Amino acid sequence: MHIELMQYGVLLMAFAMVAAKRFSALVTSFTIQSFLLFILTLSEAIKTGSTQLYILAVLIFAIKVIGIPVFLGRITKKIKVPDEMGLYVNTTLSIIIAALLSGISYYFIRNFLPSMEKEAGIALIIALSVTLIGLFIMIFRIKALAQVVGLLIMENGIFLAGASITGGIPFFVEIAVSFDVFIAVMILGVFVYRINSLFTHIDVDKLNELKG
Amino acid sequence: MESFIVDWRLSFDALSIFFGFVILLVAIPSWVYSIGYMQGLYSRGRIRFAKILFFFFILSMLLVVFSSNVLFFLIAWELMSLLSYFLVTLDSHEEKASRAGLIYILMTHVGTTFMTAAFLIIYSYSGSFDFIAFKETCLLLPSTIKTVVFLCFVVGFGTKAGLIPFHIWLPYAHPEAPSHISSVMSGAMIKIGVYGFIRFVLFILGVSELWWGNLILVLAIISSVGGILYALMEKDLKKMLAYSSIENIGLIMLGIGGYMVFIKMNQPLLAVFSLAAALYHTVNHAIFKTLLFMCSGAILKTCGTKNMEKLGGLIKLMPVTAFCFLIGALSISAMPPLNGFMSEWLILQTLFSGALAGATFPKMKIFLALLTGLLALTGGLAAACFVKAFGISFLAGTRSKKTETANDSGWTMKAPMIFLTGLIFIFGIFAAPVFKVLIDTVSSVSGLNSGGAAFTFNVMSLAPRNNSTMSLNSLLLFGILVITEVTIFAVVKIITKKRTVTCAHTWACGYYRTTERNQYTSTGFSKPFRVAFSFILMPSRKLEKIRDSHYHVKAFKYEVHTKQFLNEYFYKPVIKRLFRFAEWSRKLQQGSVHIYIGYIFLAIVFLIVFLKRF
Repeated sequence: MHIELMQYGVLLMAFAMVAAKRFSALVTSFTIQSFLLFILTLSEAIKTGSTQLYILAVLIFAIKVIGIPVFLGRITKKIKVPDEMGLYVNTTLSIIIAALLSGISYYFIRNFLPSMEKEAGIALIIALSVTLIGLFIMIFRIKALAQVVGLLIMENGIFLAGASITGGIPFFVEIAVSFDVFIAVMILGVFVYRINSLFTHIDVDKLNELKG
Repeated sequence: MESFIVDWRLSFDALSIFFGFVILLVAIPSWVYSIGYMQGLYSRGRIRFAKILFFFFILSMLLVVFSSNVLFFLIAWELMSLLSYFLVTLDSHEEKASRAGLIYILMTHVGTTFMTAAFLIIYSYSGSFDFIAFKETCLLLPSTIKTVVFLCFVVGFGTKAGLIPFHIWLPYAHPEAPSHISSVMSGAMIKIGVYGFIRFVLFILGVSELWWGNLILVLAIISSVGGILYALMEKDLKKMLAYSSIENIGLIMLGIGGYMVFIKMNQPLLAVFSLAAALYHTVNHAIFKTLLFMCSGAILKTCGTKNMEKLGGLIKLMPVTAFCFLIGALSISAMPPLNGFMSEWLILQTLFSGALAGATFPKMKIFLALLTGLLALTGGLAAACFVKAFGISFLAGTRSKKTETANDSGWTMKAPMIFLTGLIFIFGIFAAPVFKVLIDTVSSVSGLNSGGAAFTFNVMSLAPRNNSTMSLNSLLLFGILVITEVTIFAVVKIITKKRTVTCAHTWACGYYRTTERNQYTSTGFSKPFRVAFSFILMPSRKLEKIRDSHYHVKAFKYEVHTKQFLNEYFYKPVIKRLFRFAEWSRKLQQGSVHIYIGYIFLAIVFLIVFLKRF
């Protein structure tokens, strides 16, 4: 029961991120979402008693709950841009679209994987919704940092999908992906910093001069 | 996936060995020639680079010919195309060369696409890339599939060979390439297209319908007549040779088309002859076209131009080159007893015999007879074309300052030219034994009954047996020719015995102050043909006079253009549409990161929603 609750929590946090106007709110929601994932993994680890899952849980906690949010916080402080992310689509409409995306995910999973168990199905629907919402945030938010967080949300969604269908992606793959994401965020952070020092802004919609 | 592992084994059957021989026959003299040719024209590093490329180019051609697996064949084929692209653009500092290279690589890839499509279609039935498996599968293919595969092969190999609707790269790439490369490309590489056609259409796919052969015959005769007409209009020496290559490919394909038709007309004997004649012309064209490109390269190197209007009087300055060019020109215009005559004569005879033999195919009778007529026309036009080429470039007086310092090139360039000139005589005079070897080649590859029984072969002649209408007697021809010439010479000597001779300027008709501007030009020479064939060539001319008064013209400008029918009405519109489409599709590229991610997003949502439809 509590596992399902956690999963709904993950979805809720995704909606919270869609609704967020400020960057700090976005990062906070992301931290909570990652924390929920950490608890999900941990409870799974306690249930099965697998060492690998314990390590994974610790890793999630270290990277996604502490490492990345701290790093992003430092970047935002350093580049001194206004905290507003800049929305293409206002909050209300964004939430409606996010709800529609969840609907599409529901339709997709129910139609194409009808034989799935109920719980796993719900987890998968949530995972797909979160992934799509991450993509949505990448598209409809102007500042470059939002793209970074959007990518992280997508990764969370994929993690949830992997955990819910197969009972965990192979251990080494999972670890590799975690580190990958961490490194990607570092690099993207540096890029954002560079973009800011070169153009004095991080508005992605103004970066369109490099076209054929 | 197992069959995607490339089988690197080579196979040596009679056909591959023949084509390997042709490649080496062209490549080795060209290699020697290139040593002298490149010296002084390019920097040392570039020469070394060109030599390495050249070596691998030849190697890749040999691999194409000797491969026995389709994947291997394709890899070698692509290698050959890419290497020759780099060789064409060796003068990459010149914009013309890189443009020619671009057209070449585009066309060659269009061809390869069609080829690959055909291979994959067969593969989907056979499940293996081996030639033998392909052959077995092709027997079982449904006829519509067979037709599609056949058409793909025609486009694919036709592009490489330079058959007329697909020829446009040839007149650009051959003149712009360095001369030893043009000679290899024209002498050997386009023959690889012919090889591919023979191997895949004739012996793997098999001829299953009469109209296939007819299609090839039509394309071939269009190539012959069209190629030589455009050659006749050309004033650029190497471009003229490139067009003449199209003509000769047409002649070779005429033999191949003949094979296809005769197989369906139940005339296996004629089929074998026809293909053997095509192979004979292949080796002959390799010899004389290589030679002619070498001569034009020698001219280009010493005079710095290949524009015929600027040449002239070279026979006195470059006697060896002039002699070699003359022999090559005579051979390509089908003058007995040189080799070009022999193979064209054999092709003509097979077509003619086909017209006589096809009693059960009345339509074919007329068609083949028409082809014979057009083939004769081609020979005539070729003669006119090379009279022009030789007359304008080597005879008369000098036309520009550039030619005054011309001289024969060094031995590394002269030796291969003389060697090939010798081969022209050998392949001409000993036509009968050569033809016998080729007939054996064809019958061993095709499995058809050898045509050897229908002839008595002597060293010099090919006499018919069993009411066959074909014959060839090079000794007799040679004898007739010598006797006629000696007689004419003697008669002229006797008649002009008592005349006095005054030497004057060449082509000046006794007038004493001619300049280069008074001379006959190549454009002038080809005028009658431009008028006679104006329905194809569509010449347009522009006159511009600048006058002081009504009576005095100060300056006069005269321009003549002929139109390339296919370029004008097919390729140009297609290219224009393509560019317009590209321009339109550029709107997709807005340069905004958000929109790019949006495309991905839309694609995912689309797939999620419509997955069931696929």
